[in-house]
Amino acid sequence: MSVTEPELLDLIAQEAIIDRDKLNREATLGDLGISSLDVITMLFELEERYGVVIEEADMPKMETLGEMVDFLMTRINEQPAKS
Amino acid sequence: MSGGRRIAVTGMGAVSALGAGVAETWDAVRQGRSGIAPHLFDGGAHGPEPVTLPAALAADGFQSALEARMGRKVSASLDRFALFALCAAFEALDQAGLVGDAVLGERTAIVLGHGQGGQETLEKGYERFFGLKSPRMHPAMVPKVMVSGGVSAVAMQFGVHGPVFATSSACASSAHAIVQGAGLIQTGLADVAIVGGAEAIATPGSMSGWQAIHALAETTCRPFSQGRDGMVMGEGGAVLILEDLERAKSRGATVFGEYLGAGMTSDAFHITQPSLEGTAAAIRQACTAGDLLSQEEVLIAAHGTGTPLNDENESAALDAAFAGVAVRRPLIATKSAHGHLIGGSAAMQTIIALKAMRAGLAPPVLNFLGPDPNCDVDVVVGEARPITARHALLNAFAFGGLNVSMAFATA
Repeated sequence: MSVTEPELLDLIAQEAIIDRDKLNREATLGDLGISSLDVITMLFELEERYGVVIEEADMPKMETLGEMVDFLMTRINEQPAKS
Repeated sequence: MSGGRRIAVTGMGAVSALGAGVAETWDAVRQGRSGIAPHLFDGGAHGPEPVTLPAALAADGFQSALEARMGRKVSASLDRFALFALCAAFEALDQAGLVGDAVLGERTAIVLGHGQGGQETLEKGYERFFGLKSPRMHPAMVPKVMVSGGVSAVAMQFGVHGPVFATSSACASSAHAIVQGAGLIQTGLADVAIVGGAEAIATPGSMSGWQAIHALAETTCRPFSQGRDGMVMGEGGAVLILEDLERAKSRGATVFGEYLGAGMTSDAFHITQPSLEGTAAAIRQACTAGDLLSQEEVLIAAHGTGTPLNDENESAALDAAFAGVAVRRPLIATKSAHGHLIGGSAAMQTIIALKAMRAGLAPPVLNFLGPDPNCDVDVVVGEARPITARHALLNAFAFGGLNVSMAFATA
């Protein structure tokens, strides 16, 4: 299972309802208005789309979008599909 | 009228397959345009084969105005039924000139009716649970599903701190909501009531259930017509602003009509079949409350689902209630245009009846193939018919034998 960064950014823009062109790695999650509920919604979509289960509780504290993207890409690309 | 305070309608809002807004809705029904079309209902990877059924679904763009005022995230944070309620409430409060008014703070109630609540959210959640076998449910699932999610959303948006609750009585939900809201004003618990209902249950799982009870039409909805074979599911919301008449007059508000009173009965008979006694009793009570039997003409806004049994029963109940009086009774049944909004139907049809009386024009029942000898009613067919009625009777007869009839007068 693999995901590219542009694919992941598309998904974040869609699930957190943010204009895609506002997403840049340096922006903080707070600046982008990404709430914990948005993060859960993203994780659900990742599970349904890529079959990977990521618990919110397993996510380290992250400040920027870049940190979140790196974490999610690593987890998705290393985790075998659930089914 | 039974209460001490008279109740004015000072605002109206509607969204359905006929459009977003009362003006679009009225234009469509007046011109005989239908929102019913074939739609594919696909239960997804874990569902059965998709099926195509007639339904009256709201166009995707209905949220745009809502998102413009509340931000784009509103569409993700609420179930579709609550979005319909908010859309209609915005329009109704705008029209009443009450957005931001101090009366919303403490002297306003909200009562909205919904048959089922967040069905779309429930089905998506259960797809994860039963289909994907995921043990994790979305934390927003419960607040999106709960039947009071709509009234809470409206209260939070407009800062309403008075009595706020939802009513649920299947197809009569918004009729009960209107009666309750009026009662809160009449008993002095509120000066303004935001009332109505909304529904969004045209979902694959729900539609399968409606098929199972053989309630759905094969092709379309044709109330009181020969050859009718069932209802067509609709979706949407409708909201009215009820207000103490004296208060409305003193602030110079436009009054669109007056709520005169209602009848409410329970058949205590059958979970899906209607009873003549129960429905006729509700109509009689409303006729008394609104002094309808002494009028020359009363506009009948029929429940008119288009199912063989319901329309025949409603026709007989009207005959029984109006027996021995010479009241002209032009009958409209607009579920043939906007489908059955279940919890939102009575409020939608009340709005259309008030618009019809103000325009002096009764919109036609669509898809009419000819009179049914078992339905002795004066159905408006073909084109909109000029009327002189200053009074209207609105019926809402729900599964489980829950009956509401309401009497209104035009301003």
